[in-house]
Amino acid sequence: MPIHSMRRLAIILIGICALFWAAAAASAQNVGSHGTGLISEQQTELERLSTIIDDLSRKVAASAEDDAILVVLRTELEAVSQSLLKSGLAFRPRLAEINTRLEQLGPAPAEGQPPEPDIVAGERQNLVSEKAEINVLLGLAENLSVRVKRLIDNIAEMRRDLFSRLLTKRYTIDYALVGEVLSAFSEEMGDFYRTVSSWLRFVFQFKLKSVTAATFFALVAAAILVIGGRRLLGGLFAADPSQTQPSYLGRLSVALWSTLLPSAALAVFLAATYLFFDYYSVLRGDIGAMLRSLFYVIAVVYFVHRLGRAVLAPALPEWRLIPVGRSAGRFLVLLVSATAFFTGIDHFLTSVFEVLGSPLSLTVGESLVSTFLTGALIILIGLVKPFVDANGAARPWHPAFRFLLFGLGGATVVAGLLGYIGLARFMSQQIVITGAILATMYIGFQSAGAIAAEGTFGHTALGRRYGRWFKVDETTLDQLGLFASVAINIVIIMVGLPLILLQWGFQPGDITSWLYRFATEITIGSFSFSLTGILTGVFVFVVLYFLTRWFQGWLDGSVMARGRVDAGVRNSIRTAIGYAGIVLAGLLGISAAGIDLSNLALVAGALSLGIGFGLQNVVSNFVSGLILLAERPFKVGDWIVAGTVSGTVKKISVRATEIETFQRQTVILPNSELINAAVGNWTHRNRLGRVEIPIGVAYGSDPRRVHAILLDIARGHPSVLKNPEPFVHFSGFGDSSLNFEVRIFLADILGSLAVQNDIRFAIVEAFERERIVIPFPQREVLLRRETEPPAGDMSAPPVPAASPTETAAPPAGPAVRRRRKRPDPV
Amino acid sequence: MKKFCLALAGLVAMSGHGMAASAINLDSEPRTLIVTEGGDKSEIAIGAGETVQFCPSGCFVTMPNGDREALNGSETIEISGGAGKIK
Repeated sequence: MPIHSMRRLAIILIGICALFWAAAAASAQNVGSHGTGLISEQQTELERLSTIIDDLSRKVAASAEDDAILVVLRTELEAVSQSLLKSGLAFRPRLAEINTRLEQLGPAPAEGQPPEPDIVAGERQNLVSEKAEINVLLGLAENLSVRVKRLIDNIAEMRRDLFSRLLTKRYTIDYALVGEVLSAFSEEMGDFYRTVSSWLRFVFQFKLKSVTAATFFALVAAAILVIGGRRLLGGLFAADPSQTQPSYLGRLSVALWSTLLPSAALAVFLAATYLFFDYYSVLRGDIGAMLRSLFYVIAVVYFVHRLGRAVLAPALPEWRLIPVGRSAGRFLVLLVSATAFFTGIDHFLTSVFEVLGSPLSLTVGESLVSTFLTGALIILIGLVKPFVDANGAARPWHPAFRFLLFGLGGATVVAGLLGYIGLARFMSQQIVITGAILATMYIGFQSAGAIAAEGTFGHTALGRRYGRWFKVDETTLDQLGLFASVAINIVIIMVGLPLILLQWGFQPGDITSWLYRFATEITIGSFSFSLTGILTGVFVFVVLYFLTRWFQGWLDGSVMARGRVDAGVRNSIRTAIGYAGIVLAGLLGISAAGIDLSNLALVAGALSLGIGFGLQNVVSNFVSGLILLAERPFKVGDWIVAGTVSGTVKKISVRATEIETFQRQTVILPNSELINAAVGNWTHRNRLGRVEIPIGVAYGSDPRRVHAILLDIARGHPSVLKNPEPFVHFSGFGDSSLNFEVRIFLADILGSLAVQNDIRFAIVEAFERERIVIPFPQREVLLRRETEPPAGDMSAPPVPAASPTETAAPPAGPAVRRRRKRPDPV
Repeated sequence: MKKFCLALAGLVAMSGHGMAASAINLDSEPRTLIVTEGGDKSEIAIGAGETVQFCPSGCFVTMPNGDREALNGSETIEISGGAGKIK
């Protein structure tokens, strides 16, 4: 049985070997045919791209009137351009191979030189012809890319033309138009009615269940948003009528959220309804377009209405963002909503007429009426006197705002009446929608600013809740508020700016391609950089930095503390790891940002001269810091004396060392001074130190007795070391005292003051007991009488006139010898 | 913050070199490259021993000896004897 299985195994092994061999042979054959395969592959690819470009250029020509399609075509063309480049890049490895091989073969022999073998000539011929083929293909790709670029430029020009034509086209407006419009209108309304009613009949008969289900699901989606939003934002959402003095931030956030949340819910409901209708194929082509337009108009009008109510809050005077009067507020909300309504109606009817294929005059007439109404309403808003001054009289808007409204409204009306319907429609739509977006953004910016104000975030409901959950203090909450404010600002810009750009005729494709270009490549002059690259680099750096910090803490706290490593070594290792980590993080961050480190070397080389001169001190301190870390002449907590500075080392950094003196003054000492000059360290290896206490006793005392007493006192103190044992030094004969010095060794020099106190007290007490006098300086006055016989020998010593008496003697003349007063060295 | 901005500016300035293709002429006579970039053909003359930066975002280039290459914008080309070699 085992032999049988062995044989089977051998057969399998042989089979596997044979397979490998076959595969190897096949791949060896592939090497030869690699070039031609690549060429034919890329040739088909280029042909494919060429047909795509032909197709796209036909489409561009065909859809010269449709801005949205042109944008889509441009995005496709940009993708094609990238594919062309990629196709060109595919040849590079093969080209490099060919060039290397050609170099190895050397140039063809010139005339007169011996001919080379046929096989070499043949190979060179093959390589050269393959290279020529590749060159032809690359030329093709190059020409195609030029063509693509021309098409893209062409599209940009067409879109500019389209927009300017929309704004500048003039329609004739006269009495004939009125008649035309009226007759066309009644006709089209009939059409509209028939279309809608037939659709409704179709829905009721065949699709009732689908419609009900679609509406139900859409309602559920909107309800989730509303209920979730209410739960999440809580008090931020609704104005509390009982609160008489709401804060500015409170009013702002209520205005913002009570506008955004219901509008978003409505938008979700409408969008979901449309999508579900579409999904159940309830919509037909014409109805779909009309319904889309209707939903869009409903959403916009509702949004503007909510915004007006939120800002002006006609029912709740305390919650108004703008302090307008009650009736004026109500009137303004009405006017604003009406403006939005008429603009919306215009938009809706225009799309209906487009779908029904109505005559152009109808669209012109309808737009004329609605733009006129919109303009008139805007002028009316400017005419309202919303504010109430101290005397109760009505006060108009700020003149700048008033005239802006008059200007915009007037321009819309005049443009419409002169026949520039496109311009008038554009203006009225921009006034309503851009105005609404700008107002919302403004409220958002204001709330962001209010949140950032000191101490505000901690008092909001959200801040209080957050503070309770995570137990953070006021300062942290303040910083969180600042962070929230920055985040809100960014979100507003990220959302608001694209919305406004979309309104101003830019297409989503434009914005995304800008964003893409902005993120991946910004070109300034001859150099370009990538924002995402730099952000990646910064991210890598931050992550590595925190990783280093964590590793540092772990090594110090868990490993070295458990290993009972000396505090100085611990500090040195921690600091060294910290710096090494930062350098590593920096280098990795730089390479992650896509920056070639060889450039850094170049810059470092250029800077080294500057470092040599300008940063001499800094570098010297830096190097000294490294030496301090390695050599460790002192560690944190040591008592050192460096020059005039004496104190405890608090922190050793790479540039300077922080020393705290005993007066609690922090001295930052550059490291180079600690390296270049002598540094005394009281606690280098141990804290053992010697203290001297000088003392003098009066002449006449028994010095041996004094010596014994002092030695007893020194020996008797518990903090004084027995070994090295204390020593009393009879240091000399002073002017008025016999001088002794008590020398004691302490285990901890830092506690020397207390010990010195104890010993001095003990000495005074012992001397009093033993009646040993501690003298003070004595003054001896000698008087010489001038009445002595003059003829005596002058060399005779003067007679001491008085025994040493201190106080009775009056200050004498020049003969008085004065000894300088000097305190005992105590 | 100021330091951070300075550092960022420095990074940006240095990253500029890394992102464009560069060509160095090792020959003793000036050479000309034909570069098709963004739909425009332009000739770049490179003096002997000179280095130029071009093509930040992909281009087609024709070497002095007529060889063509596609670049994605991060290469370094060495021209010697009229032939370009991509590093």
